[in-house]
Amino acid sequence: MVLMKQFAFKKGSSMNKLIEVENVSNERVTDVQFSLMEGSLTTIIGPSGAGKSSLLLLLNRLEDPDEGEIHFKGKKISDFPISELRRNIGMVFQQAHLFDGTVEDNLKFGPSLQKKWEPNDGIKLLEKVQLSEEFLTKEVENLSGGEQQRVAFARTLANNPEVLLLDEVTSALDMRTVDLMEELLHKLVNEEGKTILMITHDLKQAERLGSYTLFMNEGRVEEQGKTTELFYQPKSATLKHFLEG
Amino acid sequence: MTNISNLSLLTMILFVMIPVSLSYLFSLGIGKSAIWSSIRGVVQLFFIGYVLTFLFSIPDWQGVGLWVAVMLVIASLQASKRGKGIPYAFLLSFSSLILIEVFVLSLWIVFDIIPFRSEQVIPMSGMIIGNSMVATGLAFERMKNEFHDSKGEILAALSLGANASQASQLIIRKTIRAAMIPNVDGLKTIGLVQLPGMMTGLILGGASPIEAIRYQIVISISIFSSVSICAMIISLVTYRFFYNRKMQLLEEKGGKK
Repeated sequence: MVLMKQFAFKKGSSMNKLIEVENVSNERVTDVQFSLMEGSLTTIIGPSGAGKSSLLLLLNRLEDPDEGEIHFKGKKISDFPISELRRNIGMVFQQAHLFDGTVEDNLKFGPSLQKKWEPNDGIKLLEKVQLSEEFLTKEVENLSGGEQQRVAFARTLANNPEVLLLDEVTSALDMRTVDLMEELLHKLVNEEGKTILMITHDLKQAERLGSYTLFMNEGRVEEQGKTTELFYQPKSATLKHFLEG
Repeated sequence: MTNISNLSLLTMILFVMIPVSLSYLFSLGIGKSAIWSSIRGVVQLFFIGYVLTFLFSIPDWQGVGLWVAVMLVIASLQASKRGKGIPYAFLLSFSSLILIEVFVLSLWIVFDIIPFRSEQVIPMSGMIIGNSMVATGLAFERMKNEFHDSKGEILAALSLGANASQASQLIIRKTIRAAMIPNVDGLKTIGLVQLPGMMTGLILGGASPIEAIRYQIVISISIFSSVSICAMIISLVTYRFFYNRKMQLLEEKGGKK
């Protein structure tokens, strides 16, 4: 019963703010303000076109805001060397977007840029996403959708990022793979101390996984807080209406 | 070689009338266009014939210099049309074509492959510039389309810490490969499927097949190398225009929407 499963994620009360977003605006988001607590999983919910994906692109500087500041570990993200920032704030997209070649070619892409790839790294990464060693030499075009998404996830993990930005990574997956991915997220937060910001359209998943939740609508963060509070005591009529579906 | 008389040439008009009549019969809507293209082609060729006669009558360096310059400008204009939206497309086309022409011509002259005579340099340069023009235009188009179609992969590569050059490798490889494949295939079947144009011309002109083949080898290899180098130059220079200084992908540059 995957849908009923509750993960016990760390609560954020004693955590540090790892990312702080202050009054950020661009063409698609308006005056966005929130913090990500270190070692927590925050979900973003909201209707299509609310600016959720655009917000993720701002956090690892695939785009820049027109106004406002984003801080990572207390330092402006624009002060970090951009490649270093992107390796530390990894991103997994809704589609796998794998590169042509084998699974190993994909996994070693990030580390190879810094000449940090070891022969056994591929096997360890595949283990994390519960794929066998044989997958290393497979051509990515021969993988199923779920396998591709897991390889994409492992490819991002290969850089060992502190923060993971996930853009509806489970939306196109079957229930079994969703279950595997959720278990992986649980391990990444609780055992490895990763900080995760995850967009999901699945409200049950947002409730199941998130310690904190942001509700976005028309480019703004309309409501934010602990997931249980947002889901059971929504303040705004828009969120109430959205949760009622 | 037998001279084709004006009367014989006129009989070819009857030959054109066959596709034109078929076009009207099957309502293909290309009858007028076929007539116009045929007339234009004939006039254009006669015009070029007189121009070449003039060019061959003046000193070689003047004839070659003048006509190669004209070919380079026309080819650059044509190639840059496909690079619409890419900054400096004309300048890039012109620079790469002039570089190729100078390089290939130098090889031919230095290694005594052909003498520096208008009759030899102009037609052979035309083949090099013409094929390089097509490769340049296709490289522009391919870059735009690939940056559109592979946007997700590029964003993924950037998000993994790649710089613009590293993120674009996949696209650059595809573009160069696409430019080389038709020529590689052409070289594989050369002479087996159809006799290449230059070789045919030389044989019709009375040259021995072995002599014609020698020329064909020179031109085929020169075209293959020129086309590949042009595609490399265009893709290695233009990928930068798809990013800003912060290694962020820019909005689309006239590619597919």
